[in-house]
Amino acid sequence: MKRALPFLIIAVVLVAAVLVAWNLKQSAVQAPIAAPTPSSSQNPSQSASPAKVAEPGADPPRAIGDAKAPVTLEEFGDFQCPPCGLLHPVLKTMEQEFGPRLRIVFREFPLVSVHQYAAVAARSAEAAGMQGKFWEMHDLLYENQKFWSNAFDVRPIFEGYATKIGLDLEQFKRDSSSEAVAQRILQDGKRGTSLGVKGTPTVFMNGSEVPFESLAPEKLRVLINNELTAKGR
Amino acid sequence: MPVILNSDSEVVSSLEESNKPNHARRAPVLYGFAAFVSLIGLVDSIYLTVEHLSGRSVQCTIVRGCSEVLSSPYASIRGLPLALIGAIAYFAVFSLGTLAAFGYKSAARLLPIVVGIMFLTTLWLFYLQAFVIRAFCQFCLLSALVTLVLTVLVFLARRQQKSKLKLVL
Repeated sequence: MKRALPFLIIAVVLVAAVLVAWNLKQSAVQAPIAAPTPSSSQNPSQSASPAKVAEPGADPPRAIGDAKAPVTLEEFGDFQCPPCGLLHPVLKTMEQEFGPRLRIVFREFPLVSVHQYAAVAARSAEAAGMQGKFWEMHDLLYENQKFWSNAFDVRPIFEGYATKIGLDLEQFKRDSSSEAVAQRILQDGKRGTSLGVKGTPTVFMNGSEVPFESLAPEKLRVLINNELTAKGR
Repeated sequence: MPVILNSDSEVVSSLEESNKPNHARRAPVLYGFAAFVSLIGLVDSIYLTVEHLSGRSVQCTIVRGCSEVLSSPYASIRGLPLALIGAIAYFAVFSLGTLAAFGYKSAARLLPIVVGIMFLTTLWLFYLQAFVIRAFCQFCLLSALVTLVLTVLVFLARRQQKSKLKLVL
């Protein structure tokens, strides 16, 4: 028995380790929050409505593409999150490939405890949105993420972006610190939390969460095509 | 009692055979403690592996930089998460430490090699965090601390055995 004891201990620890890993994985991967329904699948702000707890988010949402598109991708993102930066070109590619059949909604989910400039970046994007140029700022922020993430002070950089995309700079500065912008970010954050979003990027397709590993372009393309087929498009 | 010994295995063997009550005092306790400490590293690595595979930015509570470190190209080797390799290494240390604590001499011989490789890897990873990625991840720092403690424990355990050798000789 004594000879077997160390092996028994090792076996027990191995089983425990596998169980811990399994539990962590289960808690990390959220089940789809709300199953898509035919009537709600075209509007992301309503798509998760069958779940009692889903908040509506900022209204109107920051969306690109046809509101009647059969597939809507709703991203909860943080401009300073590196994986979100990697997802950006993927979504751009999907947008070009699927055209009017795809709608993309961006929800602010700045992880302020992790990323120093997440909040100011979110404010800047929303402030640009106040002048109708959310997506221009959104693109600039993601495309230059590595640059400004390591900057000492991002405000002049973001103001530079605002000028570059032709915003009224004074208005941009006022909007950046406005209550309206803060409320939009808060509402999006509430929606994310109500949907069980814990990290970024989290993407929902017609109300169902897309597993992170499926956000690679080839996999996402298949998922969108499947969804389009299901909708008869 | 042998006077001339040809190899470490004979040393350990002679220790176990001729001086077992004495040998069974400190070194096995140190090996047992190393096995226990490696469990902390194991849990830490499992957590990081799951987070790495989930691919999302993780919340850092003590220091900033978890997502920067974990999403850096250094966080995986040919697609294999470094944290997974760490988990395997910690499990190996746990197994070897447990076996060494129960008197398995080959495990006691192998343990310093595994821990030595882990220590050197830890130094390299610490350098990467400090000077290349320029961000620290608290979970990676915990892992570095665990490896440091393991190195000290295994070093002490081996020294203990070596000092026993001198007594035997």
